[in-house]
Amino acid sequence: MIEILKANILTIQDLGRYGYQKLGVPVSGVMDDYSARLANFLVGNDENRALLEFVLQGPTIKFHASSVFAVAGDVDVYLNGVKISPWKSYWAKRGDILEVGTLKSGVYGYIAFAGGIDVLKILGSASTYVRANLGNPLKAGDKLKLGYAILTGKEGKELPEDFIPKYLNENGIRVVLGPQLEHFTEEGIDTFLSSIYEVTRNSDRMGYRLEGPKIEHSKLGADIITDAIPLGAVQVPANGKPIIMLADRQTTGGYAKIAVVAKVDVPRVAQTRIGGKLKFKAVDVEDAQKLLRKREMLLQNLKRYLKGELRGYKLKALGEEFLVFVK
Amino acid sequence: MDFKPAGDSALVIIFGNEISESVNKKVHAVANAIEKAKPEWLIEVVPTYTSIYVYYDPLKISYQEILKAVGPFLSAEPKEEEHRVVEIPTVYGGEFGPDIEFVANYNGLTVDDVIELHSKPLYRVYMLGFTPGFAYLGGMDERIATPRLEKPRLKVPAGSVGIAGKQTGIYPLESPGGWRLIGRTPLKLFDPSKDPPTLLQPGNYVKFVPIDEKEFWEIYKLNWGEQR
Repeated sequence: MIEILKANILTIQDLGRYGYQKLGVPVSGVMDDYSARLANFLVGNDENRALLEFVLQGPTIKFHASSVFAVAGDVDVYLNGVKISPWKSYWAKRGDILEVGTLKSGVYGYIAFAGGIDVLKILGSASTYVRANLGNPLKAGDKLKLGYAILTGKEGKELPEDFIPKYLNENGIRVVLGPQLEHFTEEGIDTFLSSIYEVTRNSDRMGYRLEGPKIEHSKLGADIITDAIPLGAVQVPANGKPIIMLADRQTTGGYAKIAVVAKVDVPRVAQTRIGGKLKFKAVDVEDAQKLLRKREMLLQNLKRYLKGELRGYKLKALGEEFLVFVK
Repeated sequence: MDFKPAGDSALVIIFGNEISESVNKKVHAVANAIEKAKPEWLIEVVPTYTSIYVYYDPLKISYQEILKAVGPFLSAEPKEEEHRVVEIPTVYGGEFGPDIEFVANYNGLTVDDVIELHSKPLYRVYMLGFTPGFAYLGGMDERIATPRLEKPRLKVPAGSVGIAGKQTGIYPLESPGGWRLIGRTPLKLFDPSKDPPTLLQPGNYVKFVPIDEKEFWEIYKLNWGEQR
């Protein structure tokens, strides 16, 4: 069991609540699935185990029993006052205190525990969705049960430096245009793809509202017959300012969608702070799917590497360094 | 029929560009057929007024492949006997529907007219969305159409029945809201401890049944317990 001594903004999440969107229940789940899945892999868990998601400022946690944990995020971490590393798994014993500082970059950080957090699943998921009282934000004094796990051999796993996400957005956020492209003029689409947009204060787990050049609608206007909203959908209401819909988005909506962010780039959007800048780049659906398959292969290799099933070697070729996985 | 990608993990199948009962019936027939078949690449389907979002796993199937894979489901036709009518007991007016006089005055009607016009039709649940358990209902009499509040209320109780423009709907959860409130039902529209967690399902029909305050609290206790 662990006890939250200082919560800040802290929720339990997994990879989301699927199967109930047609009844209006949002998916929710982690905002950055790349970091969260790696956090779980670092402690030997499957990717969908319930973990803690913090926003900017990490929590302070007391262990009431031995556990193995890992913190994912660009953040200072202390165990009993001694500085330790994020992206690495550690053994904690009864009475130990874990302090997680403030993220130096990014917005969302994760803490995973071997065995995961053992919390009652609602509609198949441990994800917290505050707006419908599906779980509650955590507060000081909350005690959480951890799932059973063999701890021996789980600690000391470290993510190779090259795979720690940096969230540099200089390459642009890749998007698949549509599905309501006909609601925009050529100029509007061009404005969207050539301008720089800034994440505004009115941004949360539901979506990020962007400020920047106004995107022009066609004669069809900003409103559509209400349809569904996929993760990463870029809605443009009548004011011409895009909104990127994220984990806690409502399942349906009536604004025209100019594009949908490629799944591989959703974590990069989610980790962009207020005032951070985004530039969009159109890719084909096939290319977005190729990028996703490539990332999945990498994640599966990293999972096996962290389990000790694969070894990683650094190779230098053509002036670039690669990590190669072999049995 | 039209097909479009909505990002790398969703296919949109578009059946029409106007809200109509026949298009929506086709939407639900095809969505049900895909759901029933449980193809291994399927994550979930979301039927809407005129389209279906098919959420799929792109690690298992590519966009070009899913275009072919949905083919056999597109011929699914609605079955007539599937009609389910859900009665919604509703107290109209008073503290339960503080805007009913406004709706009446706005449309040059009496409060009784509003109640009669609102509780007469059989409304179709075209789709659910927006918040858990919220049903997009079709079939409201335009004689009671009323614009939204200029300033939304910060707190609308769960079960409140409202009008926004030509639409009527029920708030499943306590939330802020700008609809003109004409009544309230003691039924629970969203209950995550049940499966399915919502009272209304896409394709159902809804009939509002006027009740009095005493009946409201009797039914309320059965659904929500003693709390108010």
